[in-house]
Amino acid sequence: MTTDRQPTVIARTVTRVVVPFILLTALALLFQGHNLPGGGFIAGVLTCTAFALVYIIYGRESLRTLLGIAADGPGVLGGITGLYARLFAVGLLVAATGGVVSMALGYPFLTQAVLYLSDLPVVHALTAVPGVGTLELASAFVFDLGVYAVVVGGLLSVLSVVGRE
Amino acid sequence: MDPTHVAVVPLLVPLFAAVATLLLRPYPTLQRGASAIGGVGYLVAVAALVRAVTADADGYLVYALAGWDAPVGIVLVADALSAFMLTIAAIVGVAALLYSLAYVDAEDQRLSYHSLFHFVLLGVTGAFLTGDLFNLFVWFEVMLMASYVLVVFYSGPEHTRAALHYTVLNLLGGALMLLSIGGLYATTGTLNMADMAHRLANAAEYGIDPAPVLGLSALLFAVFALKAGIVPFQFWVPDSYRAAPVPVTAVLAGVVKKVGIYAIIRVYFTVLSGAALDVSLPFVAGDSVLAYFGPVLLVMAAGSIILGGIGAVNQPDLDGLLAYSSIGQVGFIALSLAVAASAPFGSEVMLVGIAAALVYSLNHGLAKGALFLSVGVIRRGVGSVEFADLGGLSERDPVFAGGFFVGALALIGIPPLSGFFGKFLVFDTAVRAEAWLALGLALVGAVLTIAYFSRAWNRAFWGEPVAFDPQPRLTLVVVVLGVGLLLVGIGFQPIADAAQRASEAAVSRSDYIDAVLEVGR
Repeated sequence: MTTDRQPTVIARTVTRVVVPFILLTALALLFQGHNLPGGGFIAGVLTCTAFALVYIIYGRESLRTLLGIAADGPGVLGGITGLYARLFAVGLLVAATGGVVSMALGYPFLTQAVLYLSDLPVVHALTAVPGVGTLELASAFVFDLGVYAVVVGGLLSVLSVVGRE
Repeated sequence: MDPTHVAVVPLLVPLFAAVATLLLRPYPTLQRGASAIGGVGYLVAVAALVRAVTADADGYLVYALAGWDAPVGIVLVADALSAFMLTIAAIVGVAALLYSLAYVDAEDQRLSYHSLFHFVLLGVTGAFLTGDLFNLFVWFEVMLMASYVLVVFYSGPEHTRAALHYTVLNLLGGALMLLSIGGLYATTGTLNMADMAHRLANAAEYGIDPAPVLGLSALLFAVFALKAGIVPFQFWVPDSYRAAPVPVTAVLAGVVKKVGIYAIIRVYFTVLSGAALDVSLPFVAGDSVLAYFGPVLLVMAAGSIILGGIGAVNQPDLDGLLAYSSIGQVGFIALSLAVAASAPFGSEVMLVGIAAALVYSLNHGLAKGALFLSVGVIRRGVGSVEFADLGGLSERDPVFAGGFFVGALALIGIPPLSGFFGKFLVFDTAVRAEAWLALGLALVGAVLTIAYFSRAWNRAFWGEPVAFDPQPRLTLVVVVLGVGLLLVGIGFQPIADAAQRASEAAVSRSDYIDAVLEVGR
């Protein structure tokens, strides 16, 4: 790895500006995913591109020190890699549990439902805006959130393990 | 809980066991406990499903995932055939899992072994239960993804090389599978297996031309044969089986191969057999897509039996011998399926042929499981599985030698072990069909089996004893599987009944269609 070639000011500035937008777009895709194009998978991939950009421009250690996580130990799954691996496992747990909850309620595995909220004060304020009427709470979001965590955790584990070698 | 959930529980148990073993990484003892509980829970879940299928009046449990009915949604269909295959998976899988607890290094277990193992079980279970062709592809991939990592598990040069071959081949297979499933979807307009069977049986009504189905199903057939390791798609078998940890090899040979066999039975006998197509080729007579695959299977079975047998006789090490042996043994399964496929649909010969394939699969799963697990005992006890370094093990550890001996005799087919009935049914099928070529092949295969196991026994268990460090915990699993082989042979009647019900389920196309599509009507 060469240390004499620093990223340019342009690259660093663009990264600072672009990363929040990428994360925001990812969140938007995640939230609309239950009935519009988007969803946990694509949102997760997009989030990973933001992380990858930070890694490439600011170096592998920057994110770790920013988040205040201990340095990677000798094991494969120490430090921040361990965190990503746990995120992966938790995501899988969330997605699978989301499916089982419907069984506990007497429906088949993975059955989803949508709750429409239309008489909340916040929503009343929004009804003046065209196109925004009721608030949809989809249970599929829980599954999407699990998928999101699996994708982010899985891809970032790969990035950080391969990046370290 | 609603009793209909019994069909999905065998999927949920390995899924949650995999998640739990991932989350419990910081606590290795708890993690191993969770994995063992998951394994035993899987056995219980499968037993409950088998009971429910047997008790069901029609013998079909249909479970619409997420409440979306067939043919639009993905359904799980548990019938006697799925139940039979799941039983094999559960017994071999749990034995191998408990064996791993004592065999695999503690750090390796902590990192990824247990979750990967449960993911393989998850993929296998899904493949046995799904009623949707595309979903079958997905479960194949789940099973393969985890098995790629398990083959490269020790990460040495030879493991990496084997895993590279295994991965590239199976990725190629996956691409072909997707292509052919896409083609079948374009041709028939459905992915649900029951709906596809229904449409193909009434092709004119739905405006389907059955001709493309033949080519597409031939492509699909190559993929299933690759999974089952039938000649000419056998070349990945020896290296991968040598590279993977021993309990994983037991599962690859005992269970994962059987997924290919199951897929052939389910897709060709249940689904595609209804596609009427005049067959006018030399040596081929019949009126359905299935009839084409009879001669194809026969040639592939012949290749497997001969290549596997001769390859096994020549191996310098025990795991290589067993790997080639499993190519040969799968040849026997393919042979009975070949005779069955050539017989008139629903005839006695076809039923006996499928039952023979199933009983043989059960026997091969248990026996090859026991034998591959014996390889682990020898590798630990002696430090090598090369025949040059072995000898006199029967003197050093008679109990372990007994376990190996029973496994070998079961594969040779000595009564009263389960292997006798497997072999007997294969011969019975050939005689009933008056397929003398198949009978001759089975005889050649039987002689080769005796030859290579005699050689293994002579070189490893007789002769000048070598230093051997007994492995009581590992030996226990081998002996338990050996006793299982004996029990299956002694109490064979229930197994025979189950195999017969399974083979009837495999050819009861209209019952299958009714059971699945009834939900949607």
